[in-house]
Amino acid sequence: MNTAAVVPFVESMRSAAAALRLPGSGLAWLDATRREAMQAFVAHGLPATRNELWKYTTVRGLAQRQYAPRDDKAANRPVDEALFPPEAMDGPRAVFVNGVFRSDLSRLDRLPDGVGLQSLSSALDAEPEPLRFLLGAPKDAGDDGFTLLNRALWADGVVLRVAAGVHVRGPLHVVHVGVAADAATAWHLRSLIELGDDARLAIVEHHVGEAAAGHLANLVCNIKLHEQAHLDWVGIQRAGADATLLRCTDIQLHDDATLDFHALELGGKLARHEIRVDLAGARSRFESRGAFVLHQRQHADTELLVTHRGRDTFSHASWRGVADDRARGVVHGRILVLPGADGADGGFYNKNLLLSPSAEIDTRPALEIYADEVRANHGATVGQLDENVLFYLRSRGIPLEMARRILVRAFCAVTLERIEPPSLREHCLALLVEQLREAST
Amino acid sequence: MATQSSEVQAALSRRYEAGFVTDIESLSLPPGLDEDTIRALSAIKEEPEWMTEWRLSAYRHWLTMRQPDWAHVRLAPIDFQAISYYSAPKNKPKSLDEVDPKLLETYEKLGVPLHERAKLAGVAVDAVFDSVSVATTAREQLAKVGVIFCSMSEAIREHGELVRQYLGSVVPQGDNFFAALNSAVFSDGSFVFIPKGVRCPMELSTYFRINAGHTGQFERTLIIAEEDAVVSYLEGCTAPMRDDNQLHAAVVELVALERASIKYSTVQNWYPGDENGKGGIYNFVTKRGECRGDDSRITWTQVETGSAITWKYPSCVLRGDRSVGEFHSVALTHHYQQADTGTKMIHVGRDTKSKIVAKGISAGRSQNSYRGLVKVEKGAVNARNHTRCDSILIGKKCGSHTYPYVEVKNPTAIVEHEATTSKISDDQLFYCRSRGIGEEDAVSMIVDGFCKQVFRELPMEFAVEAKKLLEVSLEGAIG
Repeated sequence: MNTAAVVPFVESMRSAAAALRLPGSGLAWLDATRREAMQAFVAHGLPATRNELWKYTTVRGLAQRQYAPRDDKAANRPVDEALFPPEAMDGPRAVFVNGVFRSDLSRLDRLPDGVGLQSLSSALDAEPEPLRFLLGAPKDAGDDGFTLLNRALWADGVVLRVAAGVHVRGPLHVVHVGVAADAATAWHLRSLIELGDDARLAIVEHHVGEAAAGHLANLVCNIKLHEQAHLDWVGIQRAGADATLLRCTDIQLHDDATLDFHALELGGKLARHEIRVDLAGARSRFESRGAFVLHQRQHADTELLVTHRGRDTFSHASWRGVADDRARGVVHGRILVLPGADGADGGFYNKNLLLSPSAEIDTRPALEIYADEVRANHGATVGQLDENVLFYLRSRGIPLEMARRILVRAFCAVTLERIEPPSLREHCLALLVEQLREAST
Repeated sequence: MATQSSEVQAALSRRYEAGFVTDIESLSLPPGLDEDTIRALSAIKEEPEWMTEWRLSAYRHWLTMRQPDWAHVRLAPIDFQAISYYSAPKNKPKSLDEVDPKLLETYEKLGVPLHERAKLAGVAVDAVFDSVSVATTAREQLAKVGVIFCSMSEAIREHGELVRQYLGSVVPQGDNFFAALNSAVFSDGSFVFIPKGVRCPMELSTYFRINAGHTGQFERTLIIAEEDAVVSYLEGCTAPMRDDNQLHAAVVELVALERASIKYSTVQNWYPGDENGKGGIYNFVTKRGECRGDDSRITWTQVETGSAITWKYPSCVLRGDRSVGEFHSVALTHHYQQADTGTKMIHVGRDTKSKIVAKGISAGRSQNSYRGLVKVEKGAVNARNHTRCDSILIGKKCGSHTYPYVEVKNPTAIVEHEATTSKISDDQLFYCRSRGIGEEDAVSMIVDGFCKQVFRELPMEFAVEAKKLLEVSLEGAIG
């Protein structure tokens, strides 16, 4: 593991740790956590393809790159209005530009009662103790190089708490913007979303970026839903064409809590999202639907790891992927049913379209079952557009390209059907169509 | 029991009276592995120089490798220096009286013919009995059509060029840790060569081949089917093999040339250890077939009920255009058994097809995993795969896992995978019970139905025995 010392990427992170004055420095427990995590990262290095969760995503290219520790001008950089998702223009939102929280672009003044939304750094300034369980937690076996790095170098993030019994109407938006800077920058954000008993919330997470901004964003998010809480979570990812986006979301659901997750993965050069769901409470439910449409040399990797721990838990996942040109799509859906998790019902379904001879799809559904009162299914397919259907459309005078687009759109749109409100759904569909148009030009 | 044993005893002593000579090999090497051991082993087997060198290069490669740990199994570390790499079977019971009565009881249930029981239990007599004549007639019949069917050692001596051409061409020496070990120290195995255009007149099986009756821990099997040849090979036996050996690392290579077809069926029932997970065989096998020629076909069928740990993935490399690979599997684990088994289908040629049917049954405190890879390479135009994995769980303490990998690099491929895991449905059980069928019988009926798709692929006699075997293996799983 000594070789890690000479990897330029590791070096640049090490010097970032030395140079940056990170939030909460001076807090003994936090400094210790950061230091330990950095040491562990240096020892570990970047995740290798030997790691089963990184089997199809190599970061060897990253290892040779160096990133600036921060974008000093991020606080004042103008952001092109066009980048902004229109549906996030009204309603409460938190905006980060190149990893820096922008209060001028955010709108946190009209938050409903019972909702607390602030940046992690200001939350830590105000009261560090309640965050200690999160930020001071020891590293665990599930940590890879990037989550360790995040532990060591997080510079900000979102803390969103909804009080018990509060039903929030309308979605909150969290927008991550990447714009061109003097140098490619790496940023690490840590977020916490916590819903009290019987709280309800909808949240939309956007990742947008300029094409030329080759940043690295390393985001870790913890979501905690207490009893009977419900979260609607939509993630729309259209990071810049040169961006690397690594996300790890840890979700814990207590009794009767439910989470609906929708994902649309369109952007980035390398985008990986690891979603770990712990159905700890009895009757907790997790449903997820997602689609990715990739072209050129894009690489997207979704790792969905669902653990059924409580009794009578339910999970359902339906993901669809399209890879064109030289793109590579990776989907891994694992359902783990622990001993005693009787009544678990888990399903993972993944369908993919491969549109080009140089594209690749790797799909890996897995079941690990340690209880017997269980129903667990998965299905995965890789195929292409049906020639007969294409012929049918063409015989009606629809040009080939358009016919293909229609079919691909229909293929993916299934996963977006349940997005609420309808305006958001329309927006997602529009983005999908736009991506397809780009792909075919 | 006593009367039975005396019957057996009587049968055995009759043979002796008839002048049968017990021939136990007395040569054995001390435990430990180094280049000298391999040279000695090779010398004992009177192998040509190239073979010795081949073994040595495999050994040198093995030294650079680490034992893999990715399978979903737990095992105590293996001390490779504690194994004797060439030894005559030791501590054989002298007669059936000394054999574990439980084992005999199982034979009884399976309906294994009396004269075979002694052989299966490893009694130290040259327990070939009637098979001698069977084998001799079989060999004559095979020789007439030009089929070569002999032990690996014999093949190396007498058909050196053929062996040299194909050995290691499907599973290279350094393929994996256990294959490398096997390449260095393999003791014996079967060699089958079906010449051009020949349809093998009978099902070949290790049963019939007496000279490799006890092939030891490191078997090496090589089957070659030339253009238009057809062969069906059966391996193993349906009754539990008593064996003190801990590690079995076998390698099986199949080569199918143009339009050839190889069907390889296994019923594996090595000693699984007792109810408390003590003892039992580690069965770490590398099996791979290559459809080298166009329009060739390889079918693997396996019923895995034995071994403390099974770790094997019979695979097909579909290199020839329009070649077909099939894998049918039933894996049953009980008590503390662990199985990590599945297949790999590598599509290389055009219009290749593969089909995977895997059925897993876990009971007791066992762990049963399916692990499979379907890979469609860039040039594999119109590749087609369908995979179906079903698992049932019997009891609360067992585990059942499915780890399929699908890698597709060609846009004309169609790959489908589906899997389900559940326990035996209460409705089905209730239905059977309401018709007066006891719980155990009901479960075995349901399991039988569950496995039918795979049993259909087995030769008839095997299918009947496999069905019985499942019943016996599942005893005590209910309630």
